[in-house]
Amino acid sequence: MSGAATRTLRIPAEVARMGELRAFVRSSADAAGLAPAAVADLVQAVDEAATNIIVHGYEGTAGEILAHARRRNGRMEVRLIDWCRPFDPTAVPEPDLSIPPLERKPGGMGVHLMRAGADAVHHRVRPDGGNELTIVRVIDRQPGED
Amino acid sequence: MPMTIDTEHVAGSPQIAVISLIGELDASNFELLVANVRQAYDDGARGLVLELTELTFMASSGLVALYSAVRIMRGEAPPDPEAGWGALHEMAEDHDPDAAPAVRLAGLQPPVDRVLERTGLKRLFDSRPTRADAIESIQGT
Repeated sequence: MSGAATRTLRIPAEVARMGELRAFVRSSADAAGLAPAAVADLVQAVDEAATNIIVHGYEGTAGEILAHARRRNGRMEVRLIDWCRPFDPTAVPEPDLSIPPLERKPGGMGVHLMRAGADAVHHRVRPDGGNELTIVRVIDRQPGED
Repeated sequence: MPMTIDTEHVAGSPQIAVISLIGELDASNFELLVANVRQAYDDGARGLVLELTELTFMASSGLVALYSAVRIMRGEAPPDPEAGWGALHEMAEDHDPDAAPAVRLAGLQPPVDRVLERTGLKRLFDSRPTRADAIESIQGT
């Protein structure tokens, strides 16, 4: 992916379409020069975020997810747009992984993996309704690169 | 569907089912894995090897399927798939290594391994490098 080119994918909000979304993120991130482990992290983060939108946002009703992927200022950004009720996954409390599993409070497994795979996640409610979630992964500099 | 599931039975004591996952385990197919484990148990398997060498991705829903597999091989009902982290929480509570069910993960790849590590659940699943190691660890030599 060169410069500020943005790639776009529009899919029905169905879990059966997540493979398509992952392939889209993987090919965009590969082209942007992310290292393989970082590509896998970003794919995981976007999958968990989009699955959350389908399960908790659309709650089984018909809808769509619009995904934009672009490289900008040494970062790979994937933006997910939906048309469901306002839902901010970044506000979900983080499980404390320093506590042994048997003493933890339940909740937030997918959101935890979303955060763990990203360097930053931003949410905003769009003025015309729906949500915009931006998942960012920094592209590590290659040796000799400016 | 982005995943193929192959089941093979290995004779011996106990009888083992080797279920190979090829592709990506996610919210669209984790219940299919649970159904395959249930079928293997109903067919007489009392040991289970999940061969994950060709599993390239696992979503958080896959953790629920792994937990369900452990429950089924213990002869218990699988949890409600909607229970999510709560189900795994419950698993951690009744985790007793001495009474570990005969379930092994074989051939874990880095992306899947990271999911187990990051959720703090890796220690709950007995993992072996290869399918042969996993079978031997259940049936002995």
